[in-house]
Amino acid sequence: MRIRAFHTEGFRIAAIFVAIFALSAAIFAVTTLVIVGEEFQDQIVRFANADIASVKDGYRTEGIPEALEVIKQRMTAPGASDFFLLQRGASHRLSGNLAPMPPRTGILNLPYPGGAHGHAILGVGTFLAPGLYLFAGSDVYRARLARQRILRALLLVFAGALVLATIGGWAMSRRFLRRADDITRTCRAIMAGNLASRIPLRGTQDELDRLSETINAMLDRIAALMGNLKEVSNDIAHDLRTPVTHLRHRLERAHLQARSVEDYNQALEAAIAATDDILALFSALLRVAQIEGGARRAAFAQLDLEQLLAQLGEVFYAVAEDREHHLTLLLSGPAWIQGDRELLVQLFSNLIENAIIHTPAGTRITLRLQRENGEAVAAISDDGPGVPREEHAKLFQRLYRREASRTRPGHGLGLALAAAIAELHGGRLKIDADAANGFSIRLRVPLSQAASLHTNSQH
Amino acid sequence: MRILLVEDDPETAEHVCHALREQGHDVEGCRDGAEGLAIARDGKHAALIVDRMLPGLDGLSLVKALRAEGSQTPVLFLTTMSGIDDRVTGLNSGGDDYLTKPFALAELVARVNAIARRGDSRQPVTLHAGDLEMDLIRRTVHRGGKPVDLQPQEFKLLEYLLRNTGRLVTRNMLLENVWELHFDPRTNIVETHMSRLRAKMDRGFAVELIHTVRGNGYILRAD
Repeated sequence: MRIRAFHTEGFRIAAIFVAIFALSAAIFAVTTLVIVGEEFQDQIVRFANADIASVKDGYRTEGIPEALEVIKQRMTAPGASDFFLLQRGASHRLSGNLAPMPPRTGILNLPYPGGAHGHAILGVGTFLAPGLYLFAGSDVYRARLARQRILRALLLVFAGALVLATIGGWAMSRRFLRRADDITRTCRAIMAGNLASRIPLRGTQDELDRLSETINAMLDRIAALMGNLKEVSNDIAHDLRTPVTHLRHRLERAHLQARSVEDYNQALEAAIAATDDILALFSALLRVAQIEGGARRAAFAQLDLEQLLAQLGEVFYAVAEDREHHLTLLLSGPAWIQGDRELLVQLFSNLIENAIIHTPAGTRITLRLQRENGEAVAAISDDGPGVPREEHAKLFQRLYRREASRTRPGHGLGLALAAAIAELHGGRLKIDADAANGFSIRLRVPLSQAASLHTNSQH
Repeated sequence: MRILLVEDDPETAEHVCHALREQGHDVEGCRDGAEGLAIARDGKHAALIVDRMLPGLDGLSLVKALRAEGSQTPVLFLTTMSGIDDRVTGLNSGGDDYLTKPFALAELVARVNAIARRGDSRQPVTLHAGDLEMDLIRRTVHRGGKPVDLQPQEFKLLEYLLRNTGRLVTRNMLLENVWELHFDPRTNIVETHMSRLRAKMDRGFAVELIHTVRGNGYILRAD
């Protein structure tokens, strides 16, 4: 685990930060040391210049004795130079605590008397008068000491920061690794067949949490599709058994009992019809599964629901009338949506046919279309006996058929298919729970962008 | 007429060949796409029946290649029932009609007949059958000189029947071509509209033009 932690992205980032910190700390330290050093030197030179000025003053007003007096005072006073030398000629010392030396002027570095380690003298040399040389200076040891102390403190802080950054980086990468391990573990669990497994969320809303959330959402979608597939295969297995069994019985009976050619023909015709029915159920199941799987958006185009419904109205008006139903269309203007014409025709045909098939003669069926908050809302309602509210959810299940309608044509797939088509169009199909009487189902589909702009500009 | 069937499933091929030969057609069979393309190139077939899934060269590519070479031979695609986008892609790539397996033989024969004769039909202004006359420009219908008042849906239905005079049209062909319904409705849409159409243009006349072919569909015949 520790070795792995050093190979993670988290640790790499931490290492980069440590390096950047180290570099900036080094630049800071060098700058500080240079500034401190220069400041100390300046101070020594300032003291020396002040001392020289005082001595010069004394000399100018009252001559050498006063100069000697000033030097004596200065040598013991705080805030003045440590070392003085007043020299006549090349080697005659008049005063001071330095050995005579060849006179040089300006800022000078002199060796420390006795040559102690770390000590040196910095000072200023000048001539008070021709042949009268004055030097004032101080030990630089204190400056060096201060620089060393500062350097030591910086190194200490730097080392501490390095340790903290390393620990922090390691901890961060540990945290990252744990999350990555969570994701890996979840994926492995799913690969091993535990499809319900999901990545635990920390609730921190950080990048990893968002990534985990996205992966979980993807897994939910996949699980839903898988569930769907499973359901379809179960449906096929269960619900095709019955019609196939019936077909077998029919053929068996013909085999045993049919006597004449006509008997056989009748049995064959019935068998072909039964087979067609089974195949139709197969196709219908596959179609629902395919549409639920989200296939087929390729055929999407701009279309006007009003025009589509008007055309369907013409198709079904006569059918409804033949069955003594009254079909009324209440369309309120064009409703452009993005959709698959063929599938939408099937959706509305299913709903209209449901209303015609499952209600008694004399029922009024109304097909309404309007635009509402950027959506096309199509409602198909009838004033028939309706469906108890507790059965509403079941109506959308595949192959669910109400007791009363088992003898009527259909496979119990119509609403499942219609709901799947609605969802494919980004819409939803809902049974009105509070319909006063009869049955009412409502489709809401978003109006297409261009169309809603058009609609808005009309208002 | 001479028909080429490109189908790799031997049982389906046998079944279809048999049915078409019964109808008096001269059927040539072939199991491979590339071979099918080579045979189709001689251009002497009245119609091609092409399965979508074929070894060698798939059906879509076969038809695209033929169309690219300028061939106008009518094509009927066959396919398994799985792909719901297939019909559109099939028709877009140059197919004339589309039939999903499994299909009734009568359906296949009717569709082959319909597409095979589509080739020689130009765009007429009027359609006739016996004493029935349809004016496609003015959208009027007369029978025995008397005007027949039809609803738009009934007009479309009669037009389709007239364009296929003498040929069987199946229920599915009517649903797809007249009402654009590509699924099997649970209500008797075809029967309802057909009976209304008949009531207006057939009933009360000495000769009935529209005949029901039991279990298969309808045929409009003048004789």
